[in-house]
Amino acid sequence: MKNKIVVSVLAVLFVLGMAPLFAGGQQEGAAEGGQAADQDVVVYNSYWADPEPKRVEAELMEMFREQNPDAKVIHSTVAHEDFKQAIRAYLTSSAPPDVLTWFAGNRARFFIDKGLIMDISDVWEEAGWNENYAKGFRAMSSVDDKQYFLPGSWYWWAIYYDTRVFDEYNIEIPETWDELMAVCEKLKSNGVTPFTVGTKYRWTAAAWFDYLNMRVNGPEFHINLMLGKESYDDPRVLKVFNEYWGPMIDKGYFVESPASYAWAEAIPFMTNGDAAMYLMGDFIRDSYPEEDLQYLDFFRFPIIDPNVPVGEDAPTDGYFIPKKSQNPEMAKKLLKFFGSKEVQEYVAKELGRLVTNNKVDTSVYNENQMKGREIINKADYVAQFYDRDTTPEMADKGMNGFMEFWQNTDQAEEITDKLEKARQQLFEE
Amino acid sequence: MPRQTTIPPAVKMILYLFLVAVTLIWLVPIFIAVITSMRTNADIMSHGFLAMPKTVDLKSYIEAWQRGGLHKYLPNSFIITMPSLVLTLLLSSLGAYALARFKFKGRTFFYFLFVGGTMLPFQILLLPVFKLSDALGIYDTYLSLIAIHTAFQLGFCTFVLRNYMMTVPIQVMESARIDGCTELGIWGKIMLPLTLPAFAAIATLEFTWIFNDYIWPLVLIRTAEKMPVTTGLATLQGQYVQDWTVIISGALLATVPTLIVFIFLQRYFIAGLTLGSSK
Amino acid sequence: MLDAKTRYKLIPYAFLGIPVTIYLIWIIGPMLYSFYLSFTKWDGLTSPEFIGAKNYRMLFQDEVFYISLSNNLEWIILFMTVPIVLGLTLAMVLNKDIPGAKTFKASFFLPMVLSLVVCGLVWSWLYSPHSGLINEVLRRIGLGKLATGWLSNPKVVMESVIAVAIWRQVGYVMVLYLAGLQSVDQNLLDASEVDGANAVQRFFNVIMPQLAPVTVIVIVISIIDSLRAFDLVSVMTRGGPYNQSSVLANFMYIEAFNNYRMGYGAAIAVIIFIISLMFIMFYLTRIAREETNA
Repeated sequence: MKNKIVVSVLAVLFVLGMAPLFAGGQQEGAAEGGQAADQDVVVYNSYWADPEPKRVEAELMEMFREQNPDAKVIHSTVAHEDFKQAIRAYLTSSAPPDVLTWFAGNRARFFIDKGLIMDISDVWEEAGWNENYAKGFRAMSSVDDKQYFLPGSWYWWAIYYDTRVFDEYNIEIPETWDELMAVCEKLKSNGVTPFTVGTKYRWTAAAWFDYLNMRVNGPEFHINLMLGKESYDDPRVLKVFNEYWGPMIDKGYFVESPASYAWAEAIPFMTNGDAAMYLMGDFIRDSYPEEDLQYLDFFRFPIIDPNVPVGEDAPTDGYFIPKKSQNPEMAKKLLKFFGSKEVQEYVAKELGRLVTNNKVDTSVYNENQMKGREIINKADYVAQFYDRDTTPEMADKGMNGFMEFWQNTDQAEEITDKLEKARQQLFEE
Repeated sequence: MPRQTTIPPAVKMILYLFLVAVTLIWLVPIFIAVITSMRTNADIMSHGFLAMPKTVDLKSYIEAWQRGGLHKYLPNSFIITMPSLVLTLLLSSLGAYALARFKFKGRTFFYFLFVGGTMLPFQILLLPVFKLSDALGIYDTYLSLIAIHTAFQLGFCTFVLRNYMMTVPIQVMESARIDGCTELGIWGKIMLPLTLPAFAAIATLEFTWIFNDYIWPLVLIRTAEKMPVTTGLATLQGQYVQDWTVIISGALLATVPTLIVFIFLQRYFIAGLTLGSSK
Repeated sequence: MLDAKTRYKLIPYAFLGIPVTIYLIWIIGPMLYSFYLSFTKWDGLTSPEFIGAKNYRMLFQDEVFYISLSNNLEWIILFMTVPIVLGLTLAMVLNKDIPGAKTFKASFFLPMVLSLVVCGLVWSWLYSPHSGLINEVLRRIGLGKLATGWLSNPKVVMESVIAVAIWRQVGYVMVLYLAGLQSVDQNLLDASEVDGANAVQRFFNVIMPQLAPVTVIVIVISIIDSLRAFDLVSVMTRGGPYNQSSVLANFMYIEAFNNYRMGYGAAIAVIIFIISLMFIMFYLTRIAREETNA
């Protein structure tokens, strides 16, 4: 009878479906089957989901396996945005991954302060990192003089521009604000939009706030604002909005409807000549079309007030070990591996990133990297970027505020009032 | 049947063409998705979204399958969806049977309970359920997903099945009981076969819902190997770079199972609804 | 041992045993826990800290809450009315024996099979202000003035997102109505025709009432989906620009998982639940009335 057949099919499906349940409990690794369960397992979750870094990481895992044949590394890549949520689940579970990627700065501090991260001062000591890593990096990894974090790589931010456009209109690299405004006017009068930007995910707008605030009011004020120690309705903040940012938007120095584009979607405006510059991190190279790369160059964000110390954004990524790691020994081994000179050199070469270990031979850096490095070395202060320097809640409100301002440049007062209210609520909670 | 009003054939033709036009426009987004999946990322970057593809390139499908991990994620989706589907249908038919067949204390209350569950904003369950899964030791296993999906869909399925079962005349079951059948027997031999059309209908819906679910695996699965296709696809979205062609190709590939289910169960789906609404 | 009569009385409970237990552990329990959470301050890592009704007080002063609320309302209204009108129309048209009826039906249902993520992605491109299809077409036919950033212009962003949801839903509603139309009593229809009723009167007085059960299901499903609407907003706008397309589910997610304010997020979810509850109660009372009448 037809019904009997359908029911039996369902039953079979049921059984088939249940079978993998019992397989689901084991952890499959990239290794072949037939491995005994008493292998030394180390679980590593990372957010390097972009194609290039993902590839390089896979290669690094192979290298690690070769060096440690008794170890079984289970490496999972999680999309960047999702990782930010998933890490909460990781850190509170009773069996978290053994090594995790994460951001330096406030974000790491947040978990360290809650006692969720393992103290790795011993690793720093044993691997010699106390000598091999710059003071700044060591400082950013420490809380109360104990180390919890391993900085891995970093990149700089700058104004990237298309050399063809600059050549065509005989534009020189601007070093002061007035020069930059002159450049913008010149471009505009020739039918080129000075700046492209895609603010769909908001952080590109935050970049402008970071730089303008640091240039106008100095990095100390900026960082204190990030830490919730200064007010958003301070006249200094209003100055940034009303005297610098607002006028730029009003004069049409940015492309239209930036909120419709993810950051990478705004690149075509530059490559097809509609726009000339982009305030962006060095990873712009990864997304830039091959044939246009040779025309891409960058310069430091111009100085607005020469009396103010120079702050730059140079977000740093790294690793740490959850306190509840099931295999701290292997985890520390993996960490030492990541922090070693050879791995760092490999990453520098393959990904064009700047790495943190001093011992790395600077000859692995190409011309661009040296140039970027120089900008950062000249800086008086290195910030981690708006949404890593301040708390997640404040970053969310702040970035929404920037987006609202971009749409309504006459509302700076109302917007900063809102942000200040949020700051009081969030930092005093 | 005689029609009082007749539409002149010319007008009919125009209306028909209008229908065709509307249908085509309706499908434009899908056409675009398919075309985009056959272009290269560089092509999109330089020529924008709408240009005709300079190169027809199915590489992105292969890439989505291999590098994109679909060869792992698709099977995972099934491993998670099938047991959830079967379990929830089975369990809700048990509950629905009780609610439809018997008059007992708490009948409305339980019905209430299940109906309420349909409306639950699942975000509210995310962290408590995560903690629960962790405490039970099933975090990062397929079982944790199957458990929550089964439980969560119980509400809707019980609701629909109970209503459907109530259309079965009580005499049918009474006579079976008089014949000496146990209640479980009546449930299995009489009610279930009669409910099959409804099962087919809900199964299509449920399959799509569970298969396309994105949030639960994010919270409950840690190892990439075990991720279903929804979450797995998201890993293709890097922090800075988005390889659109691969993402779209992967997404379209992921759609194939639900498409097949729809094509084959369409009959049951419609038949089921028909039986449900008529008497 | 229990006598036969008592045993018989216990049977329904036996049937309900397993499903209800699972339900209690995985759904009701966590839900109650979330109610509790809404009265705490919790970052998801350390222990929750009881703060009474503070979350709710903050919520009622939060402008994003009111924006989300009105967006959800707009969503419910549009998501109910448009698909019903379009879906019913299509069902009426395609119910006739026209060539290719099956293909037409399948075409309209197809979007439903696509995942929301795919829909969101594809439509995000269609909406792209610079090179998207919609603006391209508008410019070509001389309506270039209307071209705007559909997802970045705060005035139209919510409607643009809802349009995608509707695009997806129409086929589904159409299928439900098609099924419903199958069971419309042809005799009644013929009788009314003989009585002299014209097409419009036949539609409203004979067909519509018989489609009432379908309509009710459609309304219920529409409301559930409207309040749950999250995926599309998340993929297309993340609630932006600056919260103009925020809906309650999205708002809750961001507060709970991006901003680590779990207690606050729980409060939002409780509000969503209460709103849903209102509609459920309405539906249930209707059912209860029907059942007592039958």
